[in-house]
Amino acid sequence: MTGTVTTPAHKTPADENRIAGQNNLNGYLVGAIAVFIGALMLAPLVLSFFASIKPSAEASAVPPSYLPHSFSLENYDHVLNFGAGLGTYVGNSLGVAAFTIIFSLVLSVPAGFGLARFNIPYKEVLFVILLTPLMIPYQALLTPLYFMFAKLGLANTLFGLAIVHTILQIPFSVYLMRNAFESVPRELEEAAVIDGCSTFVSFRRVFLPLVFPGMVTVTLFAFIASWNEFLAALIFMNKETSFTVPIMLVSVRIGHFGAVDWGALQAGILISILPCALIYIFLQKYYVSGLLGGAVK
Amino acid sequence: MTFAKRSSAFALALTTSTFLSFSTSFAADLSMWVRASGAGAAQHLVDLWNTGHADKKIAVTVIPDNQMVTKLATGSQAGDVPDLVSFDLIYMPDFMKAGFLTDLTADLKGDPNYAGVAEAYKNIATYDGKIYGAGFTPDVSILVWNKDLFKKAGLDPEKGPTTLAEIHADATKIRALGGDTYGYYFSGACPGCNIFVTSPMMVAAGAKILPAKAGDTPLDGDGVKAVLTEMQAMWKEGLIPASAQADNGASFVSAFMSGNIGIEGSGGFMISLLKEKAPNLNFGVTILPGIKDGQQSAFVGGDVVAIPKGSKQAAVAKEFIHWELTDEVQLEGLAKNNIIPSRPALADNKYFKDEPRVVTTAKALGVGYVPWVFHFNDMVNSDSSPWIQMLQTAIFDGDVDGAIKKARDSMSSIVAQ
Repeated sequence: MTGTVTTPAHKTPADENRIAGQNNLNGYLVGAIAVFIGALMLAPLVLSFFASIKPSAEASAVPPSYLPHSFSLENYDHVLNFGAGLGTYVGNSLGVAAFTIIFSLVLSVPAGFGLARFNIPYKEVLFVILLTPLMIPYQALLTPLYFMFAKLGLANTLFGLAIVHTILQIPFSVYLMRNAFESVPRELEEAAVIDGCSTFVSFRRVFLPLVFPGMVTVTLFAFIASWNEFLAALIFMNKETSFTVPIMLVSVRIGHFGAVDWGALQAGILISILPCALIYIFLQKYYVSGLLGGAVK
Repeated sequence: MTFAKRSSAFALALTTSTFLSFSTSFAADLSMWVRASGAGAAQHLVDLWNTGHADKKIAVTVIPDNQMVTKLATGSQAGDVPDLVSFDLIYMPDFMKAGFLTDLTADLKGDPNYAGVAEAYKNIATYDGKIYGAGFTPDVSILVWNKDLFKKAGLDPEKGPTTLAEIHADATKIRALGGDTYGYYFSGACPGCNIFVTSPMMVAAGAKILPAKAGDTPLDGDGVKAVLTEMQAMWKEGLIPASAQADNGASFVSAFMSGNIGIEGSGGFMISLLKEKAPNLNFGVTILPGIKDGQQSAFVGGDVVAIPKGSKQAAVAKEFIHWELTDEVQLEGLAKNNIIPSRPALADNKYFKDEPRVVTTAKALGVGYVPWVFHFNDMVNSDSSPWIQMLQTAIFDGDVDGAIKKARDSMSSIVAQ
């Protein structure tokens, strides 16, 4: 048979155009899907924003209007001046979050180091015990904790509340830090030892810079968890001036018989999202590597 | 940036924010917890007190409504309580029985102003012959109707419905306007809203809703069935918006405020709220009716003020309670802000002259009821209470008799606990 043989000859310019066209088409398709998903994710935020700049009667209208018919900052004004003033609640929330971050780091970094790098007897058992608080609904712990804290004079203090938030945050933080320390190559540690570093010096000089992304992740999670936590803050704090942002958010939206002031609620939500979004944006370059530290070896 | 620099900048930022947060504290002489939905009204009274008592000011702490019971109960057990507390009057029996409140009998018995407080408040705050609190920021349920929609539907805009059948007939005509306009609204998944606005119609028709002690029959009387049957018919005929079925109270206020609901059971608080938030809405206020002409009732709500046991400044707190019952405070703190006074005799005052709708609410307070029962939360307010299950099964599923029977059994077993 002398049939013609089709060879993968040189691509003609027409072929190249076609392929480029296909690539373009794929690119557009991916772009369109990405825009669609992005829009879907942003929609609640945009709608919240629109609701927050409507006059409160319009924000509560049934059926709702999607785009504002008139512009008003009354909802923001309501949130800013509610109770003891937004500044007080934000200050308290930041204070508690700062303590929570410090406590979480101070406890979880050495714990993670120890669990990852030392031959401790029954290490795995210890680790599981450390994780058990994740498995108990923390609401069940709050009342006994409150009685204990009240006796110690820690109830109604930002310090006390930060301890509670730290308790809730520690298991996850230790888990993260252990993974972060485990992902540091043995060779680096051995090199440090050969160079004459003590355990403490190698911890400070070699390990800490390498697990920094992990520490950032612990910081982020501690901040977000503490910033958003409602129930413990409500039970442990007894004064308007010591309440945190989530309690204010719940109070500001409550009307008679559970009626919701939608405008104030949306304004409050947007304001409360800001610090979380900001801290995330500033720290995001460390965040992903921290979360994945030790995930793959 | 080296690691050390980075860490120290980080630590500095944290420390600064921590110190900043500690600079925000101020001293107050007395502390008062107020549930969130009563906070606006309470603030009027507290502001008035604070202007005249610079040396013993009160600082208000707003507690989210559904957390007040938990918070007061834990606080009482830990000995960490405020000097004064203002909460939903319906929890009074449970708190008095639990021994959380200070006995005020000796102080209030001799107070002539206390003698004039509405019976419903005096009754709910008395246990075993002892007085534990007084009316603070009263509220009472009423029926509101949209005068503009009444006019459009060819009804007399100045005459609100006086029987349940009339509500049904008016609602039918309003629904006939079509579109998003509906005749009647109620929050179908909100137990509290319905004990407030639906139960008085049953009571007006002669029913008794909640059992005070084991052996009492709950939901006793034909009124229960009559009201449920009428509401079920309105639902079936499409006079109530479909969204009512899932409304857990979130739209209790906003549904009527949006101007496309003809008639709704509501509360006295609605008058000042509508005037402020929806100034163009033309609405009337009447007392919740029963089945026959002339039958009327209301649910007396609002907050009572009490002194928790363990209050560090009980003497000043008592002074505050005496003070809030005086003529001047009742008028300048409450009536001036369109809130009804705790003392019905003060309903005829200069502030209400221009607002006859508030006078109607003051009258409703006179005919209103409040059930003196324990376990109100289990029987009524909880999301799965027999009360709300009865309403939902009867109105939305159509099984009126079965719903009443089931709720009766369930309430009887709760009260027998």
